[in-house]
Amino acid sequence: MPKSMRYAILEAIQGEMRRDKWLTLLYEYQSPAASWGGRRIDLEKEFGRWRARFSAIDENWIVGGAMGMSMIGVRAIAHIPSMTTLIPYELMFNHAGKLRHMTGGQAAFPMVLWADMQGRAPFQAGQHADAGLESSYARLAGLKVVIPSNPYDAKGLMISAIRQVDPVVFCQYPVPASGPEVPDEPYSVPIGQAAIRSEGNDITIVGYAPQTVEIAKAVEQLKQRRISAEFIDPRTLAPLEQVTETIVASVKKTGRLLTSDDGSYSFCNCAEIIARVAEAVPGAKFKRLAFPDAPPPGAPEMINYMRVNAADIIAAAEKMVRG
Amino acid sequence: MNKEDHISEPKTELCLKEKGSQAVSRRTFIQSLGAIGVGSAFFSAGAVKQVKAQPVSTNAEGLSNEQLIDMYTDMLKIRLWETKIKDLALKGSFRGVAHLYVGEEAIAVGVCSALRKDDYIASTHRGHGHLIAKGGDMNLMLAEITHKATGYCKGYGGSLHITDMNLGILGMNGIVGASHLMGAGAAYGVKVKGTDQVVVSFGGDGSIQGSFFTSAANSAATYGLPWISVIENNQYQIWVRCSDVYAIRDLARRADGYGIESRVVDGNDVLAVYDVAKYAVEKARDGGGPTVIECKTYRWYDHYGFRGAQIGRDGAFGLGYRSDRELRAWITKDPIPRFRRFLVGEKVLTEARANEMLQEVNQTVEKAAAFAEAQPVPEPKDGLLNVFAQGSVPLHKT
Repeated sequence: MPKSMRYAILEAIQGEMRRDKWLTLLYEYQSPAASWGGRRIDLEKEFGRWRARFSAIDENWIVGGAMGMSMIGVRAIAHIPSMTTLIPYELMFNHAGKLRHMTGGQAAFPMVLWADMQGRAPFQAGQHADAGLESSYARLAGLKVVIPSNPYDAKGLMISAIRQVDPVVFCQYPVPASGPEVPDEPYSVPIGQAAIRSEGNDITIVGYAPQTVEIAKAVEQLKQRRISAEFIDPRTLAPLEQVTETIVASVKKTGRLLTSDDGSYSFCNCAEIIARVAEAVPGAKFKRLAFPDAPPPGAPEMINYMRVNAADIIAAAEKMVRG
Repeated sequence: MNKEDHISEPKTELCLKEKGSQAVSRRTFIQSLGAIGVGSAFFSAGAVKQVKAQPVSTNAEGLSNEQLIDMYTDMLKIRLWETKIKDLALKGSFRGVAHLYVGEEAIAVGVCSALRKDDYIASTHRGHGHLIAKGGDMNLMLAEITHKATGYCKGYGGSLHITDMNLGILGMNGIVGASHLMGAGAAYGVKVKGTDQVVVSFGGDGSIQGSFFTSAANSAATYGLPWISVIENNQYQIWVRCSDVYAIRDLARRADGYGIESRVVDGNDVLAVYDVAKYAVEKARDGGGPTVIECKTYRWYDHYGFRGAQIGRDGAFGLGYRSDRELRAWITKDPIPRFRRFLVGEKVLTEARANEMLQEVNQTVEKAAAFAEAQPVPEPKDGLLNVFAQGSVPLHKT
């Protein structure tokens, strides 16, 4: 059985906590422990309570505390649960993201906001099944935002995030284990670089996190319909410059960009990607698939109808290529 | 203020130049510390019992003459530096904004005098005084608040955001309440590092109602962090009277709900503030956990800017939300001449030396103004730098 995303992330943090004797994790109730293949990681047991500290249900403390620590040079990870994504928004917006600039480069926040994110899962409803909030963070100045789609990227991006001097928002969506095997040793996946998951000539398809599962299915079926799709996973949403270059190069080749997003249609992150590519590749065709501008309903009949799936992607791609 | 009070119009720039003030003996003065103003009250965690402060005089008694003179100098620096800003602004030769601290100098100096250089402070929008008291360079501060390229923050920040990480100044901060949270976070970091530093978070009376104070106080209490929250209760939250928006009068009582020891002190009495701060600092350094200190004081000028102010006159008069009488009453409690009387009475200073000091600090302030005036403005394109540790962000105009 491959390592889960959660185990891969904890393995990343464990390695970094061994390297950096001050690195500290603040969290709420999600105990930083996991097992895989007879091995067990337990950060509190290994590093003690001061460095792996559960807190009250208080995201402002978890994130604000991590900010204050990191400001005096103690690297910190703030782990918050999925229904609280925007509670620490003000802290990230007005402090972590701005204070380096406001202080002329004096202040630094070497911290990671490790945000559990929810996909568009049924039986959760409204507050517990929202998605796409990463775009809220990605639009803020001074923050880096990464969003792994498999355990390999999750471990490598978490290590990169911890080693950054800049504040990083690390968005962890529930995604089934796929992709390359996760090595036991530390390695880094560079922040800012997209991954080309499959190459093709007819259309470029962009998406991340749970949508990569739908896109991967669609790409296989499109192949059978003689449509060659290039699938790009941005992995980083801010800063977006390098990712844009990769997608622009692809769209210059294919002439078509289809994006698939679990976020709400308006202002979803792929809307930003389309806008950037449209400026750079005039004359290309564009289509944005996303969740409607509605809260996620709990009943599976409704949410599954509203969410973008592989069939939607196939239909849109065929229309763009043939229609 | 009691309407029956008969308060005479204070003399202009008054109190600093006041002559022939009545001397008070050191012993008498120190013994009276606990009784001055609101007094120094102590709320123990777990029960709202008000007891006389523990030997309040002990810490202040330990101050050397040199330390006392340094404290007086710092208070003068704050007063005159900010008064200079007011004068520049009223003459129309000031580019920037300012939230003046005048009238509250005893708090910054009393607290920061109890700190070591390697201790931290997290400051507020009204933080010039905190920074000067912590050792901030008045030249670089004035260059910064006029947004010059060589100011503390290279012109990016201005008045609300001056920072000097080398002096343990985690920055002024324009978002009310953030100083509490940043400071408590830093205090957690101190525990992880295993040093004996302490962190002071300054905040106004308006800073304790938002959730940041709650998050800071609960964590500081639960984990026993070396954190001191200094609530500068200057009676107004922007233009709203504190007593119109809080049901309690002694804001330090909030601390009890988190299990934090707290004290209320006369914020216009530098020795009383020092005394309590020293106690809290030593306690925190010894692993005794946090303290909340409420300092009762008054803001002589408007929330920000210079409305109602004049060159050559202390205080902003004619503001709609408060009475001039109230302001005059507080000006008679000016912390600076009060401390000067003590120092002269104790023969720490002579009147002549005190007057000389005033001139010396004035000269330093004039030099700071000249320095700031001569500094270059920033390069426009530098606005694209310092977003991240490396590189610049694109302008996207072409």
